[in-house]
Amino acid sequence: MADGSPTKKPLDRDVNRIGDSFIFPPRVMDDIHIKAELGRYRMRGFSLFKKIPHWDDLTFLPGTLTRFVIEGYREKCETKTVIGPRAKTPIELDIPVYVTGMSFGALSYEAKTALARGATMAGTATCSGEGGMIPDERRYSSKWFYQCIQSRYGFNPNHLVLADGCEFFIGQGCKVGLGGHLMGQKVTDQVAEMRSLPAGIDQRSPARHPDWLGPDDLALKIQEIREATDWQIPIQLKLGAARVYDDVRMAVKCDPDSIYIDGMEGGTGAGPHLATEDTGVPGMAAIRQARKAIDDLGKRGEISLVYAGGIRNGADVAKAIALGADAIALGHSVMMALNCNKDIPEANYPEEIGAEPGYCYHCHTGRCPVGVATQDPALRERLDPDEAAERVYNFLHTLTIEAQLFARACGKTHLHSLEPEDLAALTMEASAMAGVPLAGTNHTVGIEDYHHL
Amino acid sequence: MASVSDAELKAMTQEERVKALGMTTEQLTGKSLYMEFDPDALERFEYPWAPVVDFNKRTEVDCDGKTTTEVNESIRALMAEGYGTIVLQNPRGMHSLGVGILSKLNLIVEGSTGYFAVGLIDGPNVRITGRVGWSCGENMMSGTVMIEKNAGSTFGAAIRGGDLVCRGSVGSRTGIDMKGGTIIVGGDTGALSGFMMQRGRMVVCGNAGKNLGDSMYDGTIYVGGEIRSCGVDAVEAELTQLDKDWLTRKLTQYGMMPEKGVDHFTKIVAGKQLWNYDNLEPNEKKLIL
Repeated sequence: MADGSPTKKPLDRDVNRIGDSFIFPPRVMDDIHIKAELGRYRMRGFSLFKKIPHWDDLTFLPGTLTRFVIEGYREKCETKTVIGPRAKTPIELDIPVYVTGMSFGALSYEAKTALARGATMAGTATCSGEGGMIPDERRYSSKWFYQCIQSRYGFNPNHLVLADGCEFFIGQGCKVGLGGHLMGQKVTDQVAEMRSLPAGIDQRSPARHPDWLGPDDLALKIQEIREATDWQIPIQLKLGAARVYDDVRMAVKCDPDSIYIDGMEGGTGAGPHLATEDTGVPGMAAIRQARKAIDDLGKRGEISLVYAGGIRNGADVAKAIALGADAIALGHSVMMALNCNKDIPEANYPEEIGAEPGYCYHCHTGRCPVGVATQDPALRERLDPDEAAERVYNFLHTLTIEAQLFARACGKTHLHSLEPEDLAALTMEASAMAGVPLAGTNHTVGIEDYHHL
Repeated sequence: MASVSDAELKAMTQEERVKALGMTTEQLTGKSLYMEFDPDALERFEYPWAPVVDFNKRTEVDCDGKTTTEVNESIRALMAEGYGTIVLQNPRGMHSLGVGILSKLNLIVEGSTGYFAVGLIDGPNVRITGRVGWSCGENMMSGTVMIEKNAGSTFGAAIRGGDLVCRGSVGSRTGIDMKGGTIIVGGDTGALSGFMMQRGRMVVCGNAGKNLGDSMYDGTIYVGGEIRSCGVDAVEAELTQLDKDWLTRKLTQYGMMPEKGVDHFTKIVAGKQLWNYDNLEPNEKKLIL
């Protein structure tokens, strides 16, 4: 002040305000206001928004003096991965990650073929997803799963015999117990024709398979697919993570070659917002339970365990493998490698989709600003399939060398030699779910001696 | 790839549209997508792997003492030798019998089968003289399947083409997720028949159980007897002369024409009220449409 007395800055908060509601913050109130007008659940793409115990809550315990480390950048660390070793023709991958099923319809032609080409360059597989085969995806994929999904949209026995593996979609992590969704904006003439649907409708896929109801029927259905494919290819069951131990035990009794568990971190192209938030269990819990179920039934090494959901980098890959996964499937992160949520010069996110780059979850609208999750010809031009394939390859390769880095640091010459003993938990929740000790202790939450898990 | 407007796409033929949208016509072991899209394509048998068979070349396979796999392998081996008529004897309720036949064949099954009989087929003409278990003819693409007695549940699940006929009665969820073709039932059908039906026609000469045509997207169901109840968004429609002509032709073809004709049939179609239930929120519409 002019008279030289000290300046007192006013508080930038309202001291008369008693407090803010934790249960009803403004965003929750907005949601209620919108649903009160709308009269139904709200749809969106992407994965869950809320915080759950996840891969960041685990850390590696690399070798120091108690363990012998492998030279990080020079000595060999094998990454070869086999899915369905019992099948006459197992799926052999050069790397432990592959591209999961995402439908043509949810994704553009350019995105699907770029994923196929990138995966093939990296020596790994892709999956058709719902809605049938597009020939170019099959042509570009050196290893290709054909998905047998509840709706059977586009399912064709002539395409089944071209597959390297058949995946039964029974559920997905981000909306366990629900069928797929594809909003009318994406059900173009072409997509509608492939799925035998009227164009422009909001497609809601059934949650149950049409021709089997429970595990006893499923075992017979698996036999049917094996008969139709001459018992050559692996049969994989994809389950959303829920009652994982019991579900996987039942899945094992159906005698597949591989079981795929999708954690609640998994994404979707469209689904009810609340379903993505409030169904399923986190990956670290799901993998551990699935591994135990397979091992308890004596099927380790016979039935593969594939995990998907929330995998972002090589550390996540290595952690999932250490917990018991044999292979990792990627959806969301490879879409980001394609350009999902990237600020590209051609796109004006705020005007086109009402969100800034990095905050877009509007796959369900079919107006993807980067040409990945759309059928619009003008938007699709924004995705150069050649460059996109290269990025997919780079990302898959990077994940692999990152995962190798952790394996070598833990003294492993094979990525699949990673084990739970190589991990520690940073939170009590992660310790309880992943079944690994809390960092700096010998205490695993819920287990007296984790060595006996 | 050049940009194509919706108006331009609408004006194109299916083949042009597929090409314009970036679907190549490149052959993938003999099959391209636009060929599959062609609704007029009568011949689905031009695949490189389809054996050339002679319908007059006939043989029998005794299933007694054989596994399902051995019987199915025998069928493939005989087709490769050119046999066009194969008779399966003593099937004894085997599951997955005759699945995955993707070419022309006369297959006669003398007896009854278990689950998934002749599923995933594209082309053969099949006659089963006995009964069949669940999911007979599931996902068939073309051909004809005739069941002389009764069939289990989920008869013709997700079929995409061909004629699937049962002279007797069938269980529940007949024609669930049906995507094309024709299902004909001489007797009654159980609950939830035509659930989430998408295309094609289902004819039930007898009665239909509860929730007929529940959540059907499209397609047509004809019922000659009583309907216990219709499902969500399944509504009755006028039986036109075109419907009557088609019913007469189809039922006569299989010797299943009712004595009192077809005028009494009830026609059920989609109410289409659920077609856009999930669509965009108002604020999204402002931005996007």
